[in-house]
Amino acid sequence: MRERKTNGRKMILGEAWNLPREVSEVKGKDPGTYLQFNTHMVTFYQQTYGELSRFFLGLREGRLIGARCPTCKQVMVPAATWHCPTCNFVEMKEVELPHKGVLAATAPITIFPSASFIGDAPFARGYVDVALDAPIASFLPSRLRTTTGMPRPGIFVKGLELKLVFEDERVGSIRDIFWVPMSEVPAKLREKETLLASALDFAAPREPSVEKSASGKKALGEAMAAIRAMAAKVAKSPRAQKDLAGRTHDIGVRTGGGDFALHVASGAISVEDALPKRRDFVMVAADPAVFTRWVADGSLTDAAVEGKLWLPHKEAFGVLPILDRLPRSVRRDVK
Amino acid sequence: MNRVAIVGAGITECRGRWVEATYWELFQQATRRTLEDAKVTAAEVDSVVYGIYNDIFEHQAIPESALTGIMGMALKPGTRVTSGGATGFYAMRTAIMEVGSGMSDLVLCVGGEKATDCFDPQSKSPTPMVIDTIAKSWDPFFEYPLGATASDSYMQMCMGYNDQYPGDIGNSAIRAQIIEMLCRQGNKNPFGQRRDETVTAEQVMASRWIIAPFLRLLEACMYTEGAAGVLFASEKKAEEIAERTGVPPIWVKGVGAANESYQTGRGGQYKPLSSIVSDRVAAERAYAMAGVKPSDIQLVELHDAFVAQLMVTMGEMGFVPLGRTRMLVEEGIMADIRELGDSKRPKKGQVLINPSGGLIFGGHFVGGSNMFSMWSARREMVKRQIPLALIHGTGAINAVFGGAIVVELEEGGVR
Repeated sequence: MRERKTNGRKMILGEAWNLPREVSEVKGKDPGTYLQFNTHMVTFYQQTYGELSRFFLGLREGRLIGARCPTCKQVMVPAATWHCPTCNFVEMKEVELPHKGVLAATAPITIFPSASFIGDAPFARGYVDVALDAPIASFLPSRLRTTTGMPRPGIFVKGLELKLVFEDERVGSIRDIFWVPMSEVPAKLREKETLLASALDFAAPREPSVEKSASGKKALGEAMAAIRAMAAKVAKSPRAQKDLAGRTHDIGVRTGGGDFALHVASGAISVEDALPKRRDFVMVAADPAVFTRWVADGSLTDAAVEGKLWLPHKEAFGVLPILDRLPRSVRRDVK
Repeated sequence: MNRVAIVGAGITECRGRWVEATYWELFQQATRRTLEDAKVTAAEVDSVVYGIYNDIFEHQAIPESALTGIMGMALKPGTRVTSGGATGFYAMRTAIMEVGSGMSDLVLCVGGEKATDCFDPQSKSPTPMVIDTIAKSWDPFFEYPLGATASDSYMQMCMGYNDQYPGDIGNSAIRAQIIEMLCRQGNKNPFGQRRDETVTAEQVMASRWIIAPFLRLLEACMYTEGAAGVLFASEKKAEEIAERTGVPPIWVKGVGAANESYQTGRGGQYKPLSSIVSDRVAAERAYAMAGVKPSDIQLVELHDAFVAQLMVTMGEMGFVPLGRTRMLVEEGIMADIRELGDSKRPKKGQVLINPSGGLIFGGHFVGGSNMFSMWSARREMVKRQIPLALIHGTGAINAVFGGAIVVELEEGGVR
């Protein structure tokens, strides 16, 4: 969520969450002009956590607790209630849960978020089976994070063993915790309870290695030729130049055919045959044809969403829609 | 339960945005068309049920209060039903119970929605705010703060299903083919939102991802503004109205509903992630009440949030085996509208699915989408002389609300 600070405190709504007080004209499908008025329906709350407070107090203390029914032995985490709905509402007992779990089903990755989460995507969330010893158990809805770059298909799959991680600064929110694949946690930290986010490195993910091949080299040659041809057309396309206006990017690209650089500056795009010395980030595609398809009106965004193009972080993902506009813009401007 | 008939139905045009109308006008328009269809006056109606999903979309708490007088329903009992995506189904169930109990003879059930008046000042477009409003269907403690959207919710069910039955809904060519078929059907709906569009399987597979690997842009339902009404009558009243209109009554044979737990989990009463149990149980209950089996039914109007979910739901409702829902296309179970034209029944072993174009091509004004489905089912039954139809509704996060209605066109009904 985009936040802003006032007197050093994080505020709920940023300045972007506002509209001028005005009435404007609007045209629809039918003939005639209609009016629309800017308005809002914002309600603020100091919403009590009530009986759920115990769970969130636990999170603040670095503990994960649930409710266990003495009759049916089911474990509810989070404890949505402290009285078992299937055993005549008998009182449930607090249990301390392990800081490891298993992903209950393959998790969706959100690409197009709602207004409150613009800037956060792509992100993954899913359901974690924590009370593995219990005969019946609820799943914990959770954020899922990886130290290996932007979330992509194939990581958060059903049955994945997960480690619970706590944010260093906790407030009493479900966002105080998240899970990472156990395989990404250094062995010496796997049994640690109340593992803090600062103990893991999310900022500098290791680039995946790609095997270089002769066919890859050929494919890279084709991709580079396609990008160069497009770059030449960008120089003649006002639309494409507008797409790139005010942007400067130095992007390294590793592929199965070799490395190259994409530069964006002064409304132009250019390529060179090696990784740039100074670069914003590096992206990785085993198959260089990802870039050939991009130029042929395909999409780097789609390649990233499908997991065919590796990106280090969401900021890198944010650059792709701009690059994706270029083939369309030059097609419209340059015959 | 006393016999209950559908004697009239009417809908507004489905539009992405109606700048020409507020929800007041949309509800009145649907009311007017429904009453005209049944050749009855507002005065003859005993009571009204409103289906309105979300106060935030309408920008009024108790939105139905503003509708009462405008719809000609002053001094009649009025009940507002709100049950997520299944609002329309539950509103119709309420109207059916009211007639079936003998409390009323003629009940008007109208549902509709404004949606795209919502506007996101950050992106300067409606969609992120529409998504945010729907995301408020999640609880504020655990789920909403994680950033889930309605797409994620249905997609989680598809992911879970795919974990259990790999290689079924994952075939994008099959899904794209279903979309192409739904598009052709939607072209025949004079009120449908995308009636002028032609979408090919190739375009579907080239459209951008919403959520990989089961949801591309052209596989998702729309946001629609519109309204639809259905008029339910007692047996005596139905026969009287059928004489007036010359249109045979459609009889409600079975109604089934089931809502799963909000909490997901393993065993007990938790919502499993690999199936849409609400769809299965609701349909089984409707079949039991109607005394029919899925193989008796050749017309389905299904609440298709996404095409992958349409496939899962057809499996849950017993039309194809779970894990092999691809049979809809591979075995030709989904009837092809090109072969049926405008008046033929599906062949034996085939089912006509969403002749309205469904929620993907026809329209999805949440509070009335299932009335829109009922409107279409009735129209197709009469036109094609199909004796039985199933109308399905689903809703709430992770598709935990489910509803199904079996309706029948009696042989030899008034023509």
